[in-house]
Amino acid sequence: MRLRRRDFLKTAAAVGATALTTGPRLNALAAAPITASSGESKGRWVATTCQGCTTWCPLEVFVQDGRAVKVRGNRHSKQNDGVCCPRGHLGLAQVYDPDRVKVPLKRTNPVKGRGVDPKFVPITWDVALDTIADRMMDLRRNGEAHKYLLMRGRYTYNRDVIYDAMTKIFGSPNNISHSAICAEAEKFGPYYTEGLWDYRDYDMDKCKYLLVWGCDPVSSNRMVPSAIKRLSGIVKRGTLAVVDPKSQTSALKAQEWLPIKPGEDGALAGAIAHEILVNGKWNREFVGEFVDRKNLFVPGKVVDEAAFAEVHTSGLVKWWNLELKDRTAKWASKRTGLDAGQIKRVAKGLGEAAPNVAVWLGPGACMQVRGGYASMAIHALNGLLGAVDNEGGTLDKAHIPVLKMPKLDAYLDDVAKVKHKKIDQRGTKEFPALAKGKPGGGVVTNNAARGMLDADPYDIKMAIGYMNNFTFSCTGAQRWEEAMTKLPFYVHLTTNASEMTMFADIVLPCAMTTFEKWGWVKGKQNRYAYASLLQPVIDPVFDVRTEETEIPWLIAEKLAERGFTNLLDFYRNEYKDSDTGASAKDAKDFARVVTKYYLSPIWTTEKGKGGDLVGDWDEMVARGMWNSDPYPYKKRWGKFKTETSKFEFYSATLKKALTAHAGKHKTTVDDVLETCKYTARGQLAFIPHYEEPFRSGDPKEFPLVFVDHKSRLNREGRSANTTWFQEFKKVDPGDVSWDDVLKINPLDAKKYGIGDGDMVRVTSTTGSFELKVRLWEGVRPGVVTKCYGQGHWAYGAVAATEFGKIPRGINNNEIMPAEYDRLSGSTARNGGFTGIKLEKI
Amino acid sequence: MTQYGMIIDLDKCVGCGACALGCKTENNTGDRAGGQTFNWADFMVTEEGRFPRATTTTLPVLCNHCSNAKCVEACPVEPKAMFKTADGITMHNDERCIGCQSCQEACPYSVLDISEGGAQYSVISFNEDGIGNFSRFESKTAVIAGGTSTGEELTRLTDAKPAHRTEYRHPDYDNVRRPDVTEKCIFCAHRVAEGKLPRCVVVCPAEARVFGDLSDANSEAARLLKANKSFRLNEKAGTQPNVHYIGSFVTRKNG
Repeated sequence: MRLRRRDFLKTAAAVGATALTTGPRLNALAAAPITASSGESKGRWVATTCQGCTTWCPLEVFVQDGRAVKVRGNRHSKQNDGVCCPRGHLGLAQVYDPDRVKVPLKRTNPVKGRGVDPKFVPITWDVALDTIADRMMDLRRNGEAHKYLLMRGRYTYNRDVIYDAMTKIFGSPNNISHSAICAEAEKFGPYYTEGLWDYRDYDMDKCKYLLVWGCDPVSSNRMVPSAIKRLSGIVKRGTLAVVDPKSQTSALKAQEWLPIKPGEDGALAGAIAHEILVNGKWNREFVGEFVDRKNLFVPGKVVDEAAFAEVHTSGLVKWWNLELKDRTAKWASKRTGLDAGQIKRVAKGLGEAAPNVAVWLGPGACMQVRGGYASMAIHALNGLLGAVDNEGGTLDKAHIPVLKMPKLDAYLDDVAKVKHKKIDQRGTKEFPALAKGKPGGGVVTNNAARGMLDADPYDIKMAIGYMNNFTFSCTGAQRWEEAMTKLPFYVHLTTNASEMTMFADIVLPCAMTTFEKWGWVKGKQNRYAYASLLQPVIDPVFDVRTEETEIPWLIAEKLAERGFTNLLDFYRNEYKDSDTGASAKDAKDFARVVTKYYLSPIWTTEKGKGGDLVGDWDEMVARGMWNSDPYPYKKRWGKFKTETSKFEFYSATLKKALTAHAGKHKTTVDDVLETCKYTARGQLAFIPHYEEPFRSGDPKEFPLVFVDHKSRLNREGRSANTTWFQEFKKVDPGDVSWDDVLKINPLDAKKYGIGDGDMVRVTSTTGSFELKVRLWEGVRPGVVTKCYGQGHWAYGAVAATEFGKIPRGINNNEIMPAEYDRLSGSTARNGGFTGIKLEKI
Repeated sequence: MTQYGMIIDLDKCVGCGACALGCKTENNTGDRAGGQTFNWADFMVTEEGRFPRATTTTLPVLCNHCSNAKCVEACPVEPKAMFKTADGITMHNDERCIGCQSCQEACPYSVLDISEGGAQYSVISFNEDGIGNFSRFESKTAVIAGGTSTGEELTRLTDAKPAHRTEYRHPDYDNVRRPDVTEKCIFCAHRVAEGKLPRCVVVCPAEARVFGDLSDANSEAARLLKANKSFRLNEKAGTQPNVHYIGSFVTRKNG
């Protein structure tokens, strides 16, 4: 039809003047008149924050006629310099997603399960809240308040209101965060070497040798725009090397790509450390020197501890004797599949550029079973090279002057004071979850499904989840489907009808982050820490509420109506407008008051101290953010928050934590390690060391290793329902737009007789799945890889092939089983721990 | 005489996609439909070599604003709907366009139907009436009846299609093009007229794009071009593109 019309017009045009006048006239009928003037129509830029990934960039949104139309980085930001990554722009397609939940919903089909239509019907906010409050009061009346569970997904720091205060005052220990499904192993190494339970900042402006390990900083991992801007500078002035079994963008930009066998990261780290020591390339200022200045680090030879005088580190010789002396490049070459010459070259390059170097520890290197020790080994290189808190190195963040949650104690009644165990089984012998040195101190998010299924330590009767989607985002996702099917009453606070929503009894539509809600976050990039606020830059499109503040307030009001006033009292009495001293008037006002409360030191008590001078709240709202002064180099030297105050190569801090955990269970550290699937015994438990990779599935049956990776367009699994994500999926190297492909090396494909575009059956220990294959030379033979983000069977009409029934592709988390790095509580994910087999269909 | 052009530094570019999305939000371009991409800024992906020397290049592409523009030559209406402005932009006048797609057919960087023949992108798209490039904002079907919204409802509530429509004016083109005309990158002439840079330039987190007057030896664009080895797409077509690439997307030499 179209072609015929085109041909007609062309012919007509060629005939002569008649046609030339016909054309324009014909079209002018349909045309809106084009005005003579030129330029942008009126609008204003409003400050807010991106939550497309955990960089949490300060943003500004251009608003015209009450609509959000464009996005950019916040002009005041010393982190992104006013420019955001693609995720910032994608947010517009989420706030204006036609598939958003627009009203509260109630389930009318009591049968739950994947593919079962919940038969949702619209209800009023009042009815929804009454139903929730009635269920909550029932639990309290029956002495079962602890059987209430709050699951947290994407949050702002207003989280305290719903996550801590509501759960604890109500009387449950079960506030379960999402943290351990994508992060904790990455914090484990830095904590048990330098006492930092956090992500690091990297001083890219001054870095001369950057070794990126198990991530692609220009795509993800917490300082994306800053890394995009600065990566080419490092390549120009020095060296970029990337450790990754697959070639993502950083690996293309790098001078050195080390396509390591998955899970062998600890071997490479050990060999680099070995090479640095043997060749005398450690940083003297930070680490120290042999007493007689002669390098006694000779391969295979034990060194006398007294022969080396350490400065800011502790346990170097122990590390050498127990682990490093035999970790030659040749040995590591066999384990890692890398060339020994390349390992030596990288170690030499790092040593020569030290201390202005950084070893960037990413999740691919450690989010795997036993990954905690790889995390330590990789991060320990920064200690050896004197890069910690140093120019061009790896940094902590500067102080951010904000308030803490008000004290709850006065609002905890007898029900709330009873101690109960948590549903994620943290702190049991099998799950040490040693966050910040404390046994059971961290969350084991993904294991909550097992706790719920086994009713161990008890059954959960009611749960509220907010901006989470554990049935999609947790490995072994099928277990969450079972757990959610079993859960008697679930309330989902969400923007879209996600997979987890399909198991809900009540659905409450939520404000979209960045655009429709109050909140605030802390962050750091490029040496500058910051606090950045989120505000409603537009009036919400639908009848939604803010999940962290408005909804708990509304629930508190309903609980108060039913005689339990403590929660509302806490909200009213403890969160006051920091200028007027007034309590919030209503739920909506509460969202603003809470935000203002937390950020108040910035323009009141600590005005101008350690960073930007912000005059008052109005200025805070207008500029949207506060920058710290640059993080001071060497700030923590001599006062690391470890047991020894030193950077620990022999972790006295881990020894204390592990010993405490073993003591709690009246057993030995060795027994704990065995229970938790680690191979180390004795003193090895306390030092960074190599552990053989753990694989799910017998390699004979499952010969290939599956590696999950991240998309630069992924907004934490939430952007797949936007057409823009699908359209530009090809910017993830090897990927195909509007599709979900399993990327395999052509050598492997040949072995299995598979061609590009063929459908294959992928089988892991969790099940079999059908997927399209893409032949890609960018992945190591023996490894198959797929980007996380597709495979939604709900969420919306774009994300799913058929909403509620047929997914677009396969969710990686169904292919990967639930496994853990148990010392950190982290879910095993990107590291490549899943054995799979392929069969051509 | 001014000749606007763009230099894209591939050393800096990481192929992140921000330019393409920044363009979509500025120019309100629709979704891929009916063999048309509606991506005024897009990418051409090239894979070369074998593991471990394999490389993937994600090359950002847009209208080349050629000095010898085949699209202009092919435009049959008078005065031409596709024409060169005094400052060297290949401009499209929506009102004069008769939708014959001659420009699209003539442009060496465009195809009439992206779903045929394996082309990765098309500079020019044809906005045929009812093609469905805004069907997301027109759909009457809710994934949960009565519980989730619809495209039609969203359009009604926001009084805009697309809902994130950026309003601007230009004498030659509308911020959302009417049916039955072709459309393409116009170097954000509505921004340039106000002294602003094209949106793809300002949203680039790598600062990889430099826009300017190539005929002015003192412009940064001209200086970069002089100082660096550069290339243009499909030189042999003889179109004399004014989008130049410098540097290399891939650094790695060794395995």
